[in-house]
Order: sequence, then structure tokens, then C-alpha cells
Amino acid sequence: MSTLKSIVRRILSAIPVLIGVVLIIYLILHILPGNAILTMMGEHAREEVVQQLSADLGLDKPWYVQFWMYVSGLFTGNMGTSIKYHKPVSELIATYFPVTIKLSVLAALVAWAVGIVCGVVSAMRKDKLADRIGMGFSLLGVSVPVFMTAMVLQYLLAYKLKWFPIQGTKEGFVCYILPAIALGWSSAGSVARLTRSTLLEVMESDYIDTARAKGRSVPGAVVFHALRNAMIPVVTVMAIQISSLLSGAVITETIFSLPGIGRLCVDAISGRDVPLLQGSVIFATALVIAGNLVADCLYSVLDPRIRKEG
Amino acid sequence: MRKHLAFVLALAMILSVAAIPAYADEGEKVLNLASESDILTMDVALTTDDYFIPHNVFDRLFEIQVQPDGSTEIVPSLVADYSVSDDGLTYDFTLAEGVTFSNGNPLTASDVKYTFEHLLTVPGACNYDIAQEVKGAQALLDGEAQELEGIEVTGDLTFTLTLEAVNAGYIAELTSPAMSIIDQETVESAAAFGMEPADTIGSGPYIVSEWVPNDHFTLTRNENYWGEAPDADVVVMNVVPDASTQNLMFQNGELDIIDLDALDASIIDSVYKTTYADSIVPGYRVGVTFMSMNENNEFLSDVNVRKAIQMAIDRQGLLDNFYGGDGIIQNGMIATGVWGHNEDQTPIVYDPEGAKALLAEAGYEEGEITFEFSLDSSSGDTTAMVYQQIAQDLAAVGINAEIESYDESAWLDFRRTEEMPAFVGTWTMDYNDPANILGTFFSNSTSGRSINYANQEIKDRVDAASSIMDDDERMAEYQAIDEAIVAQDAAVVPLYERAHLFCIGEKVASFVPHWAGFSNFFVRDVEMN
Amino acid sequence: MALFRSKQDVFSEDLASQIGESQTLGVQLRRMARRNKLAVASAVFLALLTLAAIFVPILSPYDPVIGDASIRLKPPSAAHWLGTDEMGRDVLTRLLYGARISLAVGVVPTLISMILGVALGVVAGYVGGMTDYILMRLADVMLAFPSLLLAMVIMYTLGGGVLNIFLALALVGWASVARVARSETISLKESEYVQAAKSIGVSGGRIIRRHILPNCLPALIVLFTLNIPSAILSESSLSFLGAGVQLPNSSWGLMVNMGRQFLYNAPWISLAPSAAIMLVVLACNFLGDGLRDALDPHLNNE
Repeated sequence: MSTLKSIVRRILSAIPVLIGVVLIIYLILHILPGNAILTMMGEHAREEVVQQLSADLGLDKPWYVQFWMYVSGLFTGNMGTSIKYHKPVSELIATYFPVTIKLSVLAALVAWAVGIVCGVVSAMRKDKLADRIGMGFSLLGVSVPVFMTAMVLQYLLAYKLKWFPIQGTKEGFVCYILPAIALGWSSAGSVARLTRSTLLEVMESDYIDTARAKGRSVPGAVVFHALRNAMIPVVTVMAIQISSLLSGAVITETIFSLPGIGRLCVDAISGRDVPLLQGSVIFATALVIAGNLVADCLYSVLDPRIRKEG
Repeated sequence: MRKHLAFVLALAMILSVAAIPAYADEGEKVLNLASESDILTMDVALTTDDYFIPHNVFDRLFEIQVQPDGSTEIVPSLVADYSVSDDGLTYDFTLAEGVTFSNGNPLTASDVKYTFEHLLTVPGACNYDIAQEVKGAQALLDGEAQELEGIEVTGDLTFTLTLEAVNAGYIAELTSPAMSIIDQETVESAAAFGMEPADTIGSGPYIVSEWVPNDHFTLTRNENYWGEAPDADVVVMNVVPDASTQNLMFQNGELDIIDLDALDASIIDSVYKTTYADSIVPGYRVGVTFMSMNENNEFLSDVNVRKAIQMAIDRQGLLDNFYGGDGIIQNGMIATGVWGHNEDQTPIVYDPEGAKALLAEAGYEEGEITFEFSLDSSSGDTTAMVYQQIAQDLAAVGINAEIESYDESAWLDFRRTEEMPAFVGTWTMDYNDPANILGTFFSNSTSGRSINYANQEIKDRVDAASSIMDDDERMAEYQAIDEAIVAQDAAVVPLYERAHLFCIGEKVASFVPHWAGFSNFFVRDVEMN
Repeated sequence: MALFRSKQDVFSEDLASQIGESQTLGVQLRRMARRNKLAVASAVFLALLTLAAIFVPILSPYDPVIGDASIRLKPPSAAHWLGTDEMGRDVLTRLLYGARISLAVGVVPTLISMILGVALGVVAGYVGGMTDYILMRLADVMLAFPSLLLAMVIMYTLGGGVLNIFLALALVGWASVARVARSETISLKESEYVQAAKSIGVSGGRIIRRHILPNCLPALIVLFTLNIPSAILSESSLSFLGAGVQLPNSSWGLMVNMGRQFLYNAPWISLAPSAAIMLVVLACNFLGDGLRDALDPHLNNE
């Protein structure tokens, strides 16, 4: 099967998944108790007003009617109107999305830089002290809760040393560094482990011996041959990273007060803003699906064996 | 390997260069503030919570001014002169001359009429209590009328306002942020009044120049302001949900005024009362924190149980341990600072033994009384501690108050069913008149508060009191009602009025907090260094 | 090929084919104990922690709920080894009581998701066809959600509380288990002895019980140990965001949440439970790695 064909097939197979995502999130949310109107207007609001507004927004209709309205809206790119913000959900997502993307990309870079360095060091100094330190460092990142890392970094580097702003996005790029480190470190562990184990495997294979025979030094061989091949499974881990980075973004965005999709979800949940919550969760999930597709495609391009297997 | 190291080093260098914060210094006086949550709308007709913009970008017919001794006084703002008819129903107003909105439009009497109509008719309106008292408001709400009958524009700057029923406190109600006057022409022509900064025009000292949702918004000085110009050129309101983050920002000079309300007493003690002792500005709450007791509940319907609960809670202990003693114990619902507050109300005495005896006498066994104590988990850590401490105090006299947490929406929804057995709430006054709190919780029009006060005679008296025209007589009646509700019927446990502390940084010379607890920052009077 | 990959896929791909049938579980575990001191230490630590959590009412003189507000936020001392918290309660006592919930949150939802995932995965792998397709697409859907977001949405729908956390985390976690169980089943289904059993007319249920499940077991044990830490971390994240365990109950995540504003003036309140989370997660990872090494002949031969 050609690469193009397999890519098309993968894209097609994502469609039922996306439909399932919309259906599941809708079902979960329709049994959600609580009234968005109350939260929106505050506790000084009066009862009649609350009822009137619920009716105006169609919240008193049966769930399947609302579901049909929602799905037909999705086809035209209409994700509904946020109850809390009185704005189209798509517009809100468009405003908040870039922050999350910047944070996630930077965090992925951190995860990769830390993970690959630790993995390579560990593999090259297998069972030596450097191996222990490298793996220990990346494992620690996985084990310490993200919020703790974030709070400690905020305290030490932003408050004590004043190297970074404490929160917000007003000062541009620098604002993303601490959140990205906190988020990235927690994902570095799996990259490091995988780099180490695949690297070990590759280093024992025949063509490294060939490289040695060609007169290249071992570290050179590691970088040019082993690492390239070791990267193939690491690419697939990228797909998992997107999902866990988005999960972690919820927490880092909360601690560093970044206006991203994660904050939007937390906001939408505490405000019972069902259209907004639906929209942002579906959007985040669609991102994961898209990320997986890209990773899968890359995988089949990078690894000719997969292509053959189809 | 070397390649990667180089890459990491390069990255590190980029990061460290970028990490030097760029402090823009354009000689402007910038005031940095922080709020725990973003506002949802700048149109006060659509919210009863978000009063920062109404306060600083709009004006009202009257304002409340804080006197040097801490008392408050109602002063005319957009109004130059007014008179009340003998029957107390009709008011004649003359607006101040020369007032313009920030886009240059002059303020006219029809803008005032339009404001009332907007409050009543804009889709999603929820803040029309005060406008609703005007004659013909109901017809407008029901869609039976096109305009508000009770306001008659008699000239460019003059109008008469007729109420449906006499309300001696109506002028006080007009100071509420809900009654911020808007510009008819702007609202009718603008696409997004209340949502887009450019479309949100008021007559106040500041103009909204930028709003980045959930991040910050920026106010700049209104150069056309009709009153005295404020000192700060630019006001930046940062949205910082976490109080401890605000604390760090203030200490690093990233905030110029911090609202200490959400910070734990231990932090205020160890940081603010030591390092910044001279910079603490005490504000006002003008509102009471209380514990409700739903009379629909099996046990709480018994006045003996309610009295025992009043006696079992160590209110001073709560205030001292969790709020550093910053506040005043309240024995009634008309709190200190509210017009008509009674210093001599029968005190509630902390007496756990007496509470036990009362319960035994009423025939309850230890541990028999059990009810849910519902917590809104969004109301802050200290509130959660207060709940736990109250539950502990009640357990000591054999009452089980079982804490159950809800998120804000579910909590409000539950309370609306009238079934919530007990909760701790704080009511800050919308306007300085006892009618505001007593009418909300203990009148015939009370709904959805899960209090179910059963004394019909008192509820009728609450409703009747607002039409007593003589101020002293009216206040005496409110005091008698408050006494009956709290001391006689034990319908509620008033706990305390917390002080509202602020701390100012080096850039701020003076800051006078607004009189009411609901407004965190009222910045027109801030003076900068 | 499945659309989504999970961490489990990555290791199970080689694990599935490499688990030997020659050695019994007991032999493998004993060998691990001999070779991997870290894994043994981790197991001992987890066992001690569990015992301490069970016997804390005997071990500690303090009450986990009732405190003395006049001694709130006191630093560690002889009387209070880890200090007191915001309500004047002993942090160590709270930590051990909290361990009951946190360990339960680690084990129970993981167990539920294992059972659910193995059942669905084995059925999908063994039956194949349309059943396989539908179950695996359902797993795809579940895996597509960022897990914390899905758990948050479920928690807010169900309301806070320990039982709801069990349910939410189990619902979020079963899909990746089903993936592993399915791929194990498929590879075992092709094996000679299963084919032989089939040819002599052994029923499908019996083949699954007698041949497939026992052979999946080592991989599943490893998966189980490695999934516990992620459940513990998820709970702490949920509680941190206020969507998890609710007062007056306590878990480590909730302790961190309540203590976070004291990070700068009473750090022991939030650091102690954070360190506890970290240690348990590390121990589970070491133990999981140890088990994996022991149960995986490929790595043992190195």
C-alpha cells in the first residue's frame, strides 16, 4: 500500500472516533447538574430572571433536541454561544487556543531536550553513575506532581530570583518558560526511557559494528546512526505527549494564570457553561486526534517496514 | 551528542536573554491591580457581581462618600438638585450641567430614562430590582409597554421619577453600581456595548482601552472627565485567580495595591503586619457573615435547636484564629457601618454548656441532631476552614453538621430549591439601607435562599417598613425587626463583619477603599507617588 | 493498526512475544528479589506504608479531623513530627489517614479498569470481526480525550467524592488496558498450543480461562503496578483543581490543595503530602520496572 493511501485511510478512520467523542461528551454533559444562569448572574439575581433566561437559551428543552441542534451546528462551524461570556464558543477558543499551543510546543521542546539528553547519556554510560542520574532525573519529573514543580519554580525562579514574571502573559515569550519547564519535565521521563532502551537495542545491532568498522568513533556512530533509528518509536511517543501535555496544561495554566484552553475548561466547568465546555473539550480532543494522525503518518514515512506492512 | 549539547546550550542562552524582563518606562503613572476572577461583562444590567467597570468607568446620580470618621454620606453626583413630593412618590431631578460622556456626548435626562429602560429590557437583564420600583416598570418587563411610564423627561437636564410605592430609601438605592448611567446614543449605535472596550462608553474618570479575557484589562484616564481628574494615568487589572500568587506579585512590586481578603491570616500576620505594617489600609465590608438555618429542616425548625447552635459556635474564636481578629462580632443582621446598625442588640453568648442543657431540656439525645452543612467549594480556603471549625464546635455539643462540598453552580442550584439545611454566607450591601438585607432574606418576597423564615408577622413588618418616611422611625422599626429575627426567633446566626484589608505599595501615596465590601477597587481617588 | 498508541503498547509489543512459558511466576519473582534491590526496597516501603495507614489510629495520639485552631501552622516539633496544618491538626496523622484514600485511589480504580479492560480486550482479540472493530473504536475514543479533562468532566457530572473518583478514573483508564489485553490475546491465539486446543474442540471460554488469561498475567501485573502511580497522580491533580476528594475527607491531593497557599510560610503542609505522592509513585515505578525485568526473559538475558 502506498504511503498516500495509508495516510488517507488513517484520516478516514479518525472520523468515527471524532463522532464518538462528540456523542460521549454530550451524554456526560447532559446529565450534568447545576445551572449556568445562576453562576453567571451571581447570587444577587432573582428567581424569575433565572427561569426566564434558562428558557431563552433553550436549556429547558429535552436533551436530544439540544443534541440535534448542537450537532447540526457543528457542521456549519457553529459551536454554540457561551452562556457565561455571551460570545460564540468558536471565537473564545480562537482567542485562548494560541496560548495553549505556545505553552505545549515549548513544553514538548523541554520534554524532548531533557528526555533525549538523559536517554542518550544513560545509554552511553549504561549501568554507570551517569545512567542512574540521567534516569533518576527524568523519573523524578514523572513522579513529582506537576502543580508542585510549577509552584516551586514560581517561588524560586520568579519570586526569589526575579528571572521570570510570576504569572500572566503580558511580557510575552518569557512568561511561557517556567510553565513550559514544569509541564515539560513531567513528560521527559517517558522520552528518556524510550530513548535509552531503543538506543541500547540499536547499538547492539549489526550496522553499528559496520560503522565501527568504517572507523567512526562510538559517540559519532551513536549520534548519526543509532539516534536516527531510535527516534522512530520516540516519534510515536509524541502522540501520547499531546494528550498528556494538554492534561497538564490545565494545571500549569491555572497556576501561572495563562489564558489558555485548560483555563477555559476549568472556567467552563465551574461556571456550568455547557456549550463552552463541550466546545473546548471537543476541540482539545480533536487536537489529540490530529496529533496522533500526524505522528502515525510521520512514523510510516520514517520507518519503511511499517509502510510495507500497511 | 555534541550537536545536542550545542542545541541545549543555544536554547538555554536564548531563554536567559529573553528572561530579562523589559520594563517599559514612559513616564506614565501605571497602577497595577489584581482580581481573582475576570469580569464577564462590562454592562451592569447583565451582572450582579462585576462592579469594577461600572464603578470606575461610569457615574451614578448619587454616590456614597466615606467621611474621615468612617461614616458614610450620600452625595449628589450627576444630579445637581432634587426634591421629593409630600406623598413620597414623585422625585424631581435636575442633572448637573456640562457633564459629557467620554466620547463627547452630553449627558441628558433622556439618557437617564434610557438607562432605566435598558436595565429592564436588555436580553439577559438580571440587575433590575431598583429600576423595577419605578411606576410602569412591570408593564415594560412584561412587554406590554414600549417605554417607562414613571420617568418623564421635562427638559434637557430635568426629569421627574414616580415610584410604584413609597420607598424612603430610594435615593440610597440610586447609589448602587447597578444604577450606572449610560449613553443612549452609544448603546443604540454600538454593536457590542458591554463586550467591546470601544463600544463601552461611560461618563466616569476612566475609559476601558483593552480587555484580554482572563488575562488583564486596561483603563486609561478619560481626558474629557467632567469631575476632578484621577491621578493614575493607566490602571491595569490583572486576573490572578490564586491569592498566594497575588501575594508574591505584590512583594515583587508587580502589584501596587493588593486586596488581602483571600489571603490566610497567617500570611497577613507574618508578611503584611510586619514588613508592610504602615502600608495596610483598612477598608470596609458593610455586610455580615452569617450561618443560615433552614426552618424547613426537621431539626432546624425547632427554635431551641437554633438557639443552641447560636450558643455553641465560638464566633470570637473563628474570627481570631482564621481572620487574625480583623473584624467585629455581629449580633444582628444590620451590620456595623450599615445605616440603622444597633450597638445595643441583645448579644449572643458563647456557652456550649448552656447549649447542651437547652438541647437536653428540649428532649434531644446527644448525636440525634444531624443535618447537612453545605459548602460552596469555590468560596475559598478560609471559608472551608470556618466550616470545619463550626462543625467541630457543634460536635462538641452533640450536633452533627455534616460538611458536603459542591461547586458553585451546584451549590447555588441546591440553595435555590429551598432545601439546603445550613450554609455560611456573606451578604455585602448593594446600597446602604437595612431594607437590602432584611428584604432579601426575611420578607414575603424572599425566594430561593433556603432560609424559610416562618414568622409571618415579622415578614409583613419588613415589607411595611420601607414606606415609613421618617428616617428615625424607620430605623427604629428595622432594629426591632432585627432583634426579633435574631434574638427571639434565632432564625440565623450572625457571625461577624470581617475587616477588608488592603495593602499599598511604594508607588501609591493614598488609597481610600470604597465604602462597600462588594467593590474591591474604586480607583478614582488613588494618589500616586 | 490501531489509531492510538499508549505507553503500554510501546512496551507490550515486545513483551507480548517474549514472555516465556517455561518459568513459573514464583520463580521469576524470587529471581527479581535476588537481583533488584531497589524493587524489593520499594515493595517493603509500600507494605510498611499500607500497614501504617491501617494502624494509624493505634500509632497516633491525634485525631485526623478535630484540631486545635490555636496551634495552627506550627512547624515540625517533637510533638508534631511534620508540624500542624491550617486547622491545627497533626500533619503526620492526616498524612497517614490520607494514605488510606490515596492508596485506595491508586489501587481500586486501577483494578476496576484492569478487569473491565481485560474482559473487553480479550473478547475483542479472541472474537475479532465486528465486535473487535466496535470495541477498539470505543477504546480509540476514550484514549483520544486528554485524560485529566475527561476525568474532570466526569467528576463534575457525578460530584466530588471518593467513590466517584474510583468510577471516573476507571472509566478513563480501561481503554489502554483493553489494548494490551487484545494484542496479547491475538498473539496467543495464533500460538500452537491454542490452535491445538481449538482443533480438539475445547470451548472458547475454556481456552480464554485456561490458556490466554494465565499467559497474559505477567504483562498485566506489570501494567497494574505501572498504572497505580498514574491513578494517584490523577487524583492529586483532580483534588488540586478542587474536583476530587471533598472535605471533610482527606487525600494527599486535597492536603496539597489546602496547603498550597501556605507553601511560603508553612511549607510542611503541602510538601509532606507532595513528597508522599512522589515516593509512592517512584516506589511503584521501581517495583513495576523490577517486575518487568523479572518477567521479561529478553532483558534478563542481557
